Amino acid sequence: MSRSPWLLGLLLVVTPAVRAQAPGERLAAARALVARAESLEAGLKHDDSVAQAKEGARRHATVFTSGSLTVLLPAFTDDAIGRRIAAGATAMLDDIGAVPESFVGALVVVSDYAMNVDSVIKMAGLGSRARVRLDAGLHPDTLADDWKVATAVGRAYAGSRDRDWNAWLPWNLGVGWTMTRDGQAAVRDLMTGDTRVGAQCLAGDMRGCRLWFGLDRDPNPYAVRFAPAELRRMLAQRFFYGGGSGLMRDCLGGTDDACVRATAGGDLLPPVPAGYAARGSLLHAVRRQHGAPALRRALADTVGSLGDRLARATGVGGDSLLAQWRTWLLTAGGQARVRADVRAAIPALVFGGLLLFAAAGSGRWR
Amino acid sequence: MYTQVLKAQWLAARLPVVLLAVLAFALPLLTVTYGGSLEGAPTERVALWLFAAQKVGVLIPGLALLLGLLLGIGAWAPDHLGKHVYALSLPVPRAMYVMLRFAAGVTLLAVPVVALGIGALLASLSVSLPSGIHAYPVQITVRFAMAALVCFAIFFAISIATKRAALAVLGVICGVLLADLVLGAVGRGDAGTVTSTVFLLLTNWPGPLSILMGRWALFDV
Repeated sequence: MSRSPWLLGLLLVVTPAVRAQAPGERLAAARALVARAESLEAGLKHDDSVAQAKEGARRHATVFTSGSLTVLLPAFTDDAIGRRIAAGATAMLDDIGAVPESFVGALVVVSDYAMNVDSVIKMAGLGSRARVRLDAGLHPDTLADDWKVATAVGRAYAGSRDRDWNAWLPWNLGVGWTMTRDGQAAVRDLMTGDTRVGAQCLAGDMRGCRLWFGLDRDPNPYAVRFAPAELRRMLAQRFFYGGGSGLMRDCLGGTDDACVRATAGGDLLPPVPAGYAARGSLLHAVRRQHGAPALRRALADTVGSLGDRLARATGVGGDSLLAQWRTWLLTAGGQARVRADVRAAIPALVFGGLLLFAAAGSGRWR
Repeated sequence: MYTQVLKAQWLAARLPVVLLAVLAFALPLLTVTYGGSLEGAPTERVALWLFAAQKVGVLIPGLALLLGLLLGIGAWAPDHLGKHVYALSLPVPRAMYVMLRFAAGVTLLAVPVVALGIGALLASLSVSLPSGIHAYPVQITVRFAMAALVCFAIFFAISIATKRAALAVLGVICGVLLADLVLGAVGRGDAGTVTSTVFLLLTNWPGPLSILMGRWALFDV
């Protein structure tokens, strides 16, 4: 829209009152004002185009690579930071080890704020790769950090799995999962989630763990994995206004059967009691104890329940695998519970003996 | 001879030994302040229990360190005060005298260790645990004994070491820090790389200080 009328109006408003003018003088003055407004507008347009050109240069897509990973970031990203982001993301993807290199190599992660993406992708010969969107802030310091890049790839891979995995996997595939932060969250989830199956799992009942993780193909998962009272409590927490269908009202009113039937559709509550941090902990436990290839095999498998796939990939029976996971998580990454065996004693005794020998051999009065 | 040395060492160190023994007895009992019956208890209570066990567990290697420090230094305190005249006047070789001091110190270490064992046993007997959770009173006591022994040996040796040995230890520590600074300055490593590597070597098995690390919870999975 032209800004001339507005500028003209503005000039008329701010022009101080003048003495009475003849019609010819008024016309000349008006023309001068219009000319002045047009001149201002031209200046503004010029300023706009200069700003756009500058912004275009700042945000021109720049390619950063690390291993198979290719990331397109705006040019204002410092070169060293861009390389660090790509390398950090690769390290994070290696850490979870779930995403095959071939998948990473078939993608290009593109920042939302990069411009001229098509031409850059064409010039870099990346046209055959699928694009993965990277939503990141514009400020150079908060721009797409390595976690965001790795998460974008993880999300893309999770989305490419079959329906069972897609519904179960953490939204970011557990990328960037750490024992210190997410491990504690998973333990809290297990301990304070206050579901019957979670309590059974915590107490060492592996059937409880299977149900808590939702690893079996249960025809009605809500009936098997949750007690009606748990469903009622969760519904009351999520739908505090008390609305919803008649079934939900009946459930909130105390009818157990209604709780199971209200949730059976799967739209109201997640069917898996374990949260994302806990599910990420299972992926990381498999990665740490059976290696990245086992995790990749499990995620590539599409036959049977998730428990069957994990068991096939790791070569360990489902319950044993869950027992390994439980110990791994509750002991903060597989550190053994308090141990006082020969293995622990040897360094202590040898070191103590060496120090005694040293003390006996040399001292203050020798 | 051993009895005499033990008696002298006891007289010099009885106050810290008794105080540490009381502390060692009380520590495991702190874990059971959340109540005595966990069978069929709500999950949150079991969680609190485990968290408490872990928190208290962290204090136990700290107690071993304190015990080793006080008894290790205390073993030589009378000799330092007397300018080692008493030791030199004894008709025994130096190595034998050091052995006697060490053995007497280890005997005194046993007092807080036994106190911790009794405390851990009482704490374990006073609770009924849910399935999947176990008590480890014996393991924690033995590990505490070994940790205290290592700490005692370190401070025992440092206390009697020559100035040259002390300077050598200090030199190694300064060398590690300097190596970090140099590597950082020339851009060949992140800050603290050498220090953290040395720390990991010492504290991961078979590092000598690995006994102080790991888990120390009386109640665990």
